[in-house]
Amino acid sequence: MNTQVIEKNSSQALEAPLIARDIHKSFGELEVLKGISLTSRQHDVTAILGSSGSGKSTFLRCLNLLEVPDAGELIVHGQQVRFKHNRLGEAVPEDEKLVERIRARLGMVFQQFNLWSHMTVLENCMVGPLRVLKQPRAEVEARARYYLNKVGLDNRVDHYPSHLSGGQQQRAAIARALTMEPDVMLFDEPTSALDPELVGEVLLVMRKLAEEGRTMIVVTHEMAFAREVSSHVMFLHQGLVEEEGAPEQLFRQQESERFRQFLSTNF
Amino acid sequence: MDNLSLLAFGSDGWGDELLSGLLVTIQLAATTLPLGLLIGFAVAGASLSSHPWLRRFGRGYTTAARGIPELLTLFLVYNGIAMLLNAVWRWLDPEAGFVELSPFIAGVIALSVVFGAFSGEVLRGAFQALDRGQIEAGQAIGLSRWDLFRFIKLPQIWRFALPGLGNLWVNLIKDTALVSIIALNDLLRMTNIAVGATKKPFTFFLIACAAYWLLSILSEMVLARLEERANRGVRRA
Repeated sequence: MNTQVIEKNSSQALEAPLIARDIHKSFGELEVLKGISLTSRQHDVTAILGSSGSGKSTFLRCLNLLEVPDAGELIVHGQQVRFKHNRLGEAVPEDEKLVERIRARLGMVFQQFNLWSHMTVLENCMVGPLRVLKQPRAEVEARARYYLNKVGLDNRVDHYPSHLSGGQQQRAAIARALTMEPDVMLFDEPTSALDPELVGEVLLVMRKLAEEGRTMIVVTHEMAFAREVSSHVMFLHQGLVEEEGAPEQLFRQQESERFRQFLSTNF
Repeated sequence: MDNLSLLAFGSDGWGDELLSGLLVTIQLAATTLPLGLLIGFAVAGASLSSHPWLRRFGRGYTTAARGIPELLTLFLVYNGIAMLLNAVWRWLDPEAGFVELSPFIAGVIALSVVFGAFSGEVLRGAFQALDRGQIEAGQAIGLSRWDLFRFIKLPQIWRFALPGLGNLWVNLIKDTALVSIIALNDLLRMTNIAVGATKKPFTFFLIACAAYWLLSILSEMVLARLEERANRGVRRA
């Protein structure tokens, strides 16, 4: 009985490392997410679009539990995360350790990079694998250097974040997430805090990752990236999915008037 | 006797007495520092807790321990704890004699209580100065609460708190002189004894000044090195 469950879970985990169903989230009186679902299959690149206040960042943050959903189902790598409400009425996860394990499988790239300022780029990449995955140092360092090389920072490994440009910092943050070898990479507006001339280098790295078949969920304002790189596009409006589908189709013809307007002002 | 032979070691000079006083002063400060910091972290943690009772406790402790003169705290600890101990002792064994709290222990407790209150405020400020985004990055990678504290928060709290803690440390070295009042043979008390015996106040008080200055200068050198290390990766404006 038990083995059956595990087998079922692992085969499910293999084809869809992340499933979110009917996710709800409120901040006080304000209902930010009114039931959003997303299934991320292996090699999917999902682009989440929407104007500010549409709930797209909150939804992404619910996926790795930086925000805890009030209701809905979240299944990562075949394991379901359960929530409860504490005495203040806030949603909290039932099992903290499960949350830590799940986060280790989801790489997060933030708008503001959020590199640890007291560590070199290499140290930034090594903390997670050493402390969370408890892998041997030599192996972790080799892998960190491999990914830093891949994002083009092989000559910056011993620099501190404050001595790097925004684009370099964001590429370092991507390498930090990759060194964990996550199942899914989550990107929260990764180019929004960058000077325009630095956006290209970060998008190039992300494009390479998509071509390698990484599973990615990207909240972005970069329409060209969404159209050319993603395999699935979701347009959120006021906490709901207004329109979604394959990019070839969605960018050619829109059913929703709002989505059409959004595209015409953002392209 | 000329001034130099006043400082000789042995039964004629006061060199060995002063040096032993200096050692007591250093021991007192060095023992207080870790205990006081521990109290400081606990108080800062309580003040920032989401639990209302813990918050109240943290604030209450800070107000109580900061609000009275250090000397009074010392008397309260020295006499109060001794009375308490004796009351408990006699309740357990009515025949028991009077026990006295060692002045050194009383000094360490009193100074730790005060250092804890002040360092608690410094640490609370440092906690609040932490960058939310960097903490989230630590959570997002799956670090446990303890690892997040150890590897992400603590090094940065340390950096923010170091100048304030350095200040408190130099203050602490000077506050140790208060224990001379409860008959602990620290530097100041030994100096006083020497002054009483030789009637040469200026000489001995100047020597005591020099010894305290030396401790301060050494502390400042160490603190400068620590700050330099803690600020690695921080861009100078």
